Amino acid sequence: MAFEFRLPDVGEGIHEAVLVKWMVAEGDVVHEDQPFVAVETDKAIVELPSPVAGTVSILHFKPGELVHVGDVMISFATKGEKITSPAPPKNKVKQVEKSDETTKPSINTGRASSVKPLATPHTRALARRLGVDLTLVLPSGKGGRITDSDVEAFAKNESGRREEPAQPVAASRVKVVEPAFPIADTGSEPVMAGTIQDTVFGSVERVKISRLRQVIARNMTASKHTLAHVTHVDEADVTDMAKLYRKVKDQVETSHGIRFTIMPFFVKAAVAGMKKFPICNASFDDETQELVLKKYYNIGFAADTPDGLVVPVIHNADRKDMIRIAGEIADLALRARDRKLKVEEMQGAGLTITNVGPMGGLFATPVIPLPQLVILGMHAMKDRPVVKDGQIVIRKMMNLSVTFDHRMIDGMVAAHFLREVIDLVENPEMLMLRLV
Amino acid sequence: MVVGTATRGCQVAVIGAGPGGYLAAIRLAQIGKDVLLIEENDSLGGICLNEGCIPSKALIHATDFLEEARSAGQMGLSFEKVTLDIGKLVKWKDRIVRQLTGGVRFLVTKNGGEVLKGRARFVSERRLEVVTDSGPVLVEFEQAVIATGSRQMELPGFDFDGNVVMGAREALSPANVPERLVIIGGGYIGLEMGSMYRRLGSIVDLVEVSDTLLPFHDSEVRTAIAQRMRKIGVTLHLGHSAIRLEKGSPSRVIIRDNSGGESTLETDRILVSIGRKPLSSGIGVESIGVEMDSGGFIVVNDRMETNIPGIYALGDVVGGPLLAHKAYREAKVAADVIGGNPAAFDNVVIPAVVYTDPELAWAGLTETEAVEAGHKIVTGVFPFRASGRAMTLSAVEGFVKTIADADSKLILGVVIMGRDAGELISEAALAIEMGAFLDDLAGTIHPHPTMSEGLLESVEAALGEAVHVLNRDQSSA
Repeated sequence: MAFEFRLPDVGEGIHEAVLVKWMVAEGDVVHEDQPFVAVETDKAIVELPSPVAGTVSILHFKPGELVHVGDVMISFATKGEKITSPAPPKNKVKQVEKSDETTKPSINTGRASSVKPLATPHTRALARRLGVDLTLVLPSGKGGRITDSDVEAFAKNESGRREEPAQPVAASRVKVVEPAFPIADTGSEPVMAGTIQDTVFGSVERVKISRLRQVIARNMTASKHTLAHVTHVDEADVTDMAKLYRKVKDQVETSHGIRFTIMPFFVKAAVAGMKKFPICNASFDDETQELVLKKYYNIGFAADTPDGLVVPVIHNADRKDMIRIAGEIADLALRARDRKLKVEEMQGAGLTITNVGPMGGLFATPVIPLPQLVILGMHAMKDRPVVKDGQIVIRKMMNLSVTFDHRMIDGMVAAHFLREVIDLVENPEMLMLRLV
Repeated sequence: MVVGTATRGCQVAVIGAGPGGYLAAIRLAQIGKDVLLIEENDSLGGICLNEGCIPSKALIHATDFLEEARSAGQMGLSFEKVTLDIGKLVKWKDRIVRQLTGGVRFLVTKNGGEVLKGRARFVSERRLEVVTDSGPVLVEFEQAVIATGSRQMELPGFDFDGNVVMGAREALSPANVPERLVIIGGGYIGLEMGSMYRRLGSIVDLVEVSDTLLPFHDSEVRTAIAQRMRKIGVTLHLGHSAIRLEKGSPSRVIIRDNSGGESTLETDRILVSIGRKPLSSGIGVESIGVEMDSGGFIVVNDRMETNIPGIYALGDVVGGPLLAHKAYREAKVAADVIGGNPAAFDNVVIPAVVYTDPELAWAGLTETEAVEAGHKIVTGVFPFRASGRAMTLSAVEGFVKTIADADSKLILGVVIMGRDAGELISEAALAIEMGAFLDDLAGTIHPHPTMSEGLLESVEAALGEAVHVLNRDQSSA
């Protein structure tokens, strides 16, 4: 008896994955639970265990190919052995069919079924394409109608989840493992094998982009097409803060065993700014034309990975001290690099901080991660001559930028917000005094 | 397998060239599959094109025309004498059938599919043996689509002889119009053939075992269709079963009512139309373990997959309403699934049409079904006698009834009885499939004067906002 393994919905709203490598070959005998394939989703690289014992008869995809949830990935010959858990999706469909008349097109009068989620044929097709189960989607349309955007939002796992899927197939059986690409020390782009093509201008190499890069591209485009980006830049005199930082750095690192950076100062200053200007801790609900003002203080920060940028989130930054924040940043950044972050560790930020400083430059105009409205940029810290009390003195100066969505936030507000942040990083003692 | 068997391969073997089979073959060929369409008859198109939908509609249209000519006197039109040449009519119908079946072959082959004439039988999960005129051919396939359809059920004691006892096929190619006709079975075919033969001049007796015609419909529909059949002169014998045939000149059909009382109908010909059964035996599906239900219908999921990987089934052979348009949709789903695209038969409605006079068409739930499904319902009815367009067409028979959820106002079902109801029902089908509410339809401008305004008016009646008929609570006040 043959058994077909279909890419399961691993329960993260993920609907497709790239096959990284086969860990078995056609003709191999596999035992139950033996990992047989590594796939890369938007979020992580996972190994999938075989639900059956048997002989591999067909590998349906090649490494590098895109596999959708529900696609048959591998066929096994199981020598009449009973198929053990988990139930193959196909059998599942049939069980449902028997218990629920509505899935079977055998109703004598061609009658409508009232239990089906209310969605147009177009939306239903979209849901199937994205691997979304409509019964789990929270409808936003009139009279409980599920719209295309409900489905898209669900697929992106941003919102719209009515409840967790009753049985995410094999979710608990998925293991997160090492990334397929070696991590380059420099953080530079990994070497990717492409195909060489000759053109009239000379030869070119065409390289397939990673899943992560596709996601980044989609998000960046969406942000740039939706938000009205404006960047305001100002400078901060961080001489005192740098002094304080150098004084405590070794001590903190020795006693807590973590790498301590200046980032926590900026996280805390940003939280103070967000408290004073709630619109800098908000998102915009286009459908209802409402601002969503967040009553929590979650800060995202841009982290490099070999495949591209991700934005892990420090949750409830207002309730954590700087040492704890430094520890979380180090941990999140490390796991981001290995693509081991959980989905929820990349969600829920009210504002993002990007540290462009190490790359030098004067300032940059970063892109705001949707659905946030503000991104704070930290730029290179340098000794610069400045005029202070009528004297030219050398101070540690740093450019700070606030990029904001001008649809929702006026320039005055953004400038005041940035001023608040600068006041606090210029006067770290004031920052300390305001810590809860 | 015999010595000398030819062997050939294909990606997808489609068995049966009816609407479901030929459409699947065309779709699969379009997406680049190497398709072999296997059909045992010379003519493609299956029952629908050869001895069902198409020929019956050709004849029914002709008799409609005949009836209109006869009743045109009130419009001041008179014809010298309207006569019928049944031979010519049948030839005209045959020409249409030839054109359409030829068209199917053209489309299949021009899209890159291949047709093999022969009778197919599964010999394994990946092989078919096809008995052709030039001997057996072994066909190896990657996927197979079973679209073998259905055949008419026989009534013991009333064996088809093509002369006195007819099936639908013979009834659609009559050599002459019988003076008297007994129809056993009051389903779609019985009703359509009853109306048609009555128009052609036969004295028609219709025997139906149920106490009512179309028992799954709401009472007003059942009553209306029975009244109409009686009005055009068809004698209904409801709650009667045909128990015996005495062939002769004339032949006698002995019928029995529920309390055992027997009576005799004298007739020249008999049409047996008591239903259809799946053509799932004799094609080797049992031998490879394809799952079937107790009625012999092949069990499939909403992706048209049987329990055997790579083997799909669709159309009449999988059950449900035995309608060509259901098979069409299933064929598209199966072709999409085979092509690796996500697809499923997730339709909310399968509309249906009975070509009686006037036509009866419906989509979605009946009132009873809606209540059973847990809805509190609201209904709206618009009679065509209140329609300007119906009057100008001299077609005031019938009505439109809309059934909706009383709270959400979601449209659940529509029934139309009237001129061209089969054409009008598609708007209702679209509305329900799209999840339309009463006010979506009420807010759509319908051209005037048309029969389609009837649906608008029935929706407005359901909202209590009818214009051209009195609203229910007003009329009762």
